[in-house]
Amino acid sequence: MTTADSAGVSALVVTDLASIPDEPPPDIIYRHKVRLIESLRVLWAHREIVYTLAERDFRAQYKQATLGILWAILSPVATLVVFVVVFSRVKSFGSEGVPFALYAFVGILCWSFFATSLGSGGNSLLTNKALLAKTQFPRECFPLETMLVGGLNTVLSWVPLAILFVIFGRAPAWTTVWIPLFMVIEVVFAAGITLAISSIIIQMRDLVQVLPLIISLGLFATPVIWPFSKIPTSLHLAFGQHVHRAVVDGHVVAGHWVGGITVNPQMIYGFLNPLGPVIDNARRTMLLGLSPDWKLVATGAVGALLYLILGYRIFKRFEVNFADIA
Amino acid sequence: MPILPDGTIEVEHVWKKFRADRTAPKFYDQMKRFGRSIGSPGRHDYRWVLKDVNLEVPPGGTLALIGINGSGKTTMLKIISQVTYQSAGRCSVQGRIGALLGVTSGIQPELTGRENVFLYGAVLGMGRQTIRERFEEIVEFAGLTDAIDRQVKFYSMGMQMRLGFSIAAFLEPDILLVDEVLSVGDANFQQKCLNRIGEVVRLGTTLLYVSHDLASVEASCERAVWLADAVVQAVGPTKEVVSKYRSAVEQNAALATSSEGAVQVLKVEINASDGGQVRSESDLDICLRLQAPEAYDANFFIGVSQGTAFPMFIVRHSGSFPAGEFEVRCRLRHVPLSRGRYSLWPAMSGHARGKGKPLLPWRPVTSFDVMGPDLPKLPEGVMVLSPVYVGADWRVD
Repeated sequence: MTTADSAGVSALVVTDLASIPDEPPPDIIYRHKVRLIESLRVLWAHREIVYTLAERDFRAQYKQATLGILWAILSPVATLVVFVVVFSRVKSFGSEGVPFALYAFVGILCWSFFATSLGSGGNSLLTNKALLAKTQFPRECFPLETMLVGGLNTVLSWVPLAILFVIFGRAPAWTTVWIPLFMVIEVVFAAGITLAISSIIIQMRDLVQVLPLIISLGLFATPVIWPFSKIPTSLHLAFGQHVHRAVVDGHVVAGHWVGGITVNPQMIYGFLNPLGPVIDNARRTMLLGLSPDWKLVATGAVGALLYLILGYRIFKRFEVNFADIA
Repeated sequence: MPILPDGTIEVEHVWKKFRADRTAPKFYDQMKRFGRSIGSPGRHDYRWVLKDVNLEVPPGGTLALIGINGSGKTTMLKIISQVTYQSAGRCSVQGRIGALLGVTSGIQPELTGRENVFLYGAVLGMGRQTIRERFEEIVEFAGLTDAIDRQVKFYSMGMQMRLGFSIAAFLEPDILLVDEVLSVGDANFQQKCLNRIGEVVRLGTTLLYVSHDLASVEASCERAVWLADAVVQAVGPTKEVVSKYRSAVEQNAALATSSEGAVQVLKVEINASDGGQVRSESDLDICLRLQAPEAYDANFFIGVSQGTAFPMFIVRHSGSFPAGEFEVRCRLRHVPLSRGRYSLWPAMSGHARGKGKPLLPWRPVTSFDVMGPDLPKLPEGVMVLSPVYVGADWRVD
């Protein structure tokens, strides 16, 4: 082939077609490198796009509706009414002495952010196909942008929460100041899951149908309408075979197992599903006026961070294919 | 690796493969495919859309990619703009890229024109402040002053393209990629766009231009690359590459249409009427020897082109033609052709329009050379539809 000479124009070069092999030599095969720190830096440089895309979605959401932006507040209020009517009759789970509607609504608020992030963020690469295939900027802007919209809608949903406090004649405890910390943990967790799901969904379209189902099941697997304290704090797992039954001082000592360990299911749950600690601690602080359960919060935070790192890695690993299969 | 200056494009041995098209959408076939892909990972069906492509554009350089549909031009642009990634090879691009890959690529139908300017600007890497400063200029160039607060879904295709182009062109990127988008605009706006492209290039932007409109390619690019069958066929000065591409297109057209129609061309002769070389503005004698199975009342056409299927001019003769072998002679007076190689396209069709096959289908039968002056160098960014030579006497007082 040719190289341009200093004038930028060189003579006509016709390729010898026979010189081109059928396959590229293996040493030049392109390997997509995943560097998270570098990716974060690039993402930060493109943060304007995230804001602009979020603004687009937020505007488009209410563009041709007569009530416009008012819906952002009206729809959570409507949800609230449904909740008060329906769930105030369901008291089987207990609500730690707090009016159930209030108790459940705090859970719902935390959950709905996660659910909408995952629901719309998971599909964000598909809904933004046109941009994805034609423009170049960090692909994670799409899921993150939908999360920002979800966050904005969630913030507006705190308005009906305030109404609920008034209705029940309560005030949030001063420990509410910890809430932003829990929200950060939730955002980190939601981002990790959303990034992973969105990058997988674009390759396995079957998941588009399955995702809503998973999300609605998740509502019940998460302490949204049931208290986190339903999960025991101690569980003995036995994997030893020898069960000793001995008589000590005339008492039968049973359950003395060899090779078993005692675990704290709350911690395990909190690690696997950081939403548990988030919702539990949001209630503890805001509704019960207790200080956060720091051990649980830390477990949730570590779990969420690991989810984010893993999710971001998966996303970056798969992003090579996005434009080709979108 | 040395740091290259902004606006540099370097593409070395780039290969790109696509998954084979899914021909069988049935569930059972999908499952079989899925099973196979698990059974032998890495051995999917694929086809190469780019093979061993090398390109180099210095900052401020202009390069055109030409080739028929599906030859890999757009894929190449997508790799350069890092929308997609190559399968093998190296592609390094320095500087900010303004890519116009498709007419409505970044345009959101639900938003107004104004909101789109900000969105698309951000997508192309412009800060909010920059967009605000350039907003008036962009809107005025696009000619959308009245429509800017209307939702874009109520725009016409041309209006959307104008909006998109204006944003990309006023971003002043280090590299501007334009992929066959101008064709949507009207002639007036196309010219305006070409002018703007010329202006941007003068300011030092590197241009990579994809178009089927060879006239605009010649007007805006110094060098060209001809892609065909996933491979770079030729690279070099635009004029030479374009003419190679044209003759290849011609050959294909001739192959596709040969041995159709009732009338056969036996022999073609082209001479200057004075017997010498064919020169600009001389008279041209064309003699076609033809054979027909029966006598016809028909129209006979002769066209002259510079490669593509679009003739520069056509002459017509209406009359009766005998059965068997016969000769058609035609004298073209003062042919306005500049120096170069031209194709001759005869055609013959019955008077009843649109009924049955043409008696002699439209195809190039021969080519001939014309001696004479070159066309004058055009003003930057200007293209001519039919590059004919017209003698002119000048006087400046």
